[in-house]
Amino acid sequence: MTALALYPQAAEVNIEPLNALPLNLVALLSLAHHPKAGAVVLFSGEVRDNSLGKAVDYLEYEAYPAMAIKMIHAIVAEAITRWQLTYAIAQHRTGIVKSGESAVVVITTSPHRTEAYAANRYIIDRIKHEVPIWKCEYFTDGTKEWGGNCNCQKLTGDVNKHIYEFDQQNKL
Amino acid sequence: MTIQTFAALKDYFSANFEVLENLNHITDLKTFLVQQNPNAEAVLNLSRFAVNDTFVDLDFEIKPNDSISIIPPSSGG
Repeated sequence: MTALALYPQAAEVNIEPLNALPLNLVALLSLAHHPKAGAVVLFSGEVRDNSLGKAVDYLEYEAYPAMAIKMIHAIVAEAITRWQLTYAIAQHRTGIVKSGESAVVVITTSPHRTEAYAANRYIIDRIKHEVPIWKCEYFTDGTKEWGGNCNCQKLTGDVNKHIYEFDQQNKL
Repeated sequence: MTIQTFAALKDYFSANFEVLENLNHITDLKTFLVQQNPNAEAVLNLSRFAVNDTFVDLDFEIKPNDSISIIPPSSGG
């Protein structure tokens, strides 16, 4: 294990889970390279220029940092352990994000691609369903709407029980 | 107890306010808030409650000094 000790160990501690400034995907990706990792997966969730049939001007993200930061750290740490990742980070925007810009980035790396893909999907699913972050969509016609909510409660009958794409995919 | 609301809930309640009524459980707080603003019932039914930044169930016992956050459905990403 001496060789491994030369490299940061599955660290995500230095990355702030919330960022009020544009996400620097290239800089974050440059941190992810690791001599033990043959697979690097980067997911960027980006703002579309349309929603509900209307043209979107921009989105504004609100977060509850006291809970969101802890939860993102915990989700990433759990994924690192579960899939034995060499590296994982997640970072979500707050404030105004325009179409074509990144609202959330998840990077996972592992020796082979299966684990990096699975862990990446797991992390983004849990962030979207569970972490206290909300988008408000501002349309070009001047209207706004709190949007894209997690609607799992309608199917599960419990606000704390979610249906993840990750699990659905595993059933296919 | 102090209450914090977010996102869509702020269309119905202040972001921060105090509740002085004697309420025993989260479910009592929820009923109280629906009485205060019946229009908020739908979003309150979809929301999670956290006491001192930890998610709790509706039967959770609350104390006068608790800080309670009401978390509407997440819509990050």
